[in-house]
Amino acid sequence: MKHVTQEVVDGWRLWHVRLHEGERRLESFTWHHVTWPARQPLVATCPVHGRDAPLSGHDCGIYSFRTRALAEELLRRYTGVRQCYGRQPPEPAPPPPGRPIALGRVSLWGRVLVREHGFRAQFAYPYELFLIGGDEAMARDLRRLYAVDVLAA
Amino acid sequence: MDIGDPETEREIEVVPLEEPVPMPAPIEQPSEEPVGV
Repeated sequence: MKHVTQEVVDGWRLWHVRLHEGERRLESFTWHHVTWPARQPLVATCPVHGRDAPLSGHDCGIYSFRTRALAEELLRRYTGVRQCYGRQPPEPAPPPPGRPIALGRVSLWGRVLVREHGFRAQFAYPYELFLIGGDEAMARDLRRLYAVDVLAA
Repeated sequence: MDIGDPETEREIEVVPLEEPVPMPAPIEQPSEEPVGV
């Protein structure tokens, strides 16, 4: 039976930060043609199911991980691991110059499909962002555009 | 993004909070002026 709640789901994910029509915007990490709109939710669409995404048995929907650690693991796979010694977990290496990445928390709502490591959702909007490979000016632009907390990491 | 095994997937519905409907404000009746004697 489907569980109905009023509690917005929190996920973690990565975005590329790229120029789009003269402004730095969040872009999906794996679907480069998807630019996240500012001040309105991203709505999942699917070439098969349209606005009924996400549906069970298909891969459509807006993806995110359950935890920050899982998002950081994907970042490590993307950037490579900076070698370090001792008990500290390995830090992700910085992204290539000029290719900033945002790691952040995302609010999910509507129809949400829950898996062991993450979610596929119908609606999503960033909640807070940690900018990697960008400077304070870029963080300020993202903060103004998306109206969320952005910290230059 | 690898978010785990699709076989474990379950669906939830996150519905928006319903905003409380404000009660209409009580209509104030004009108080009657005391009639001077």
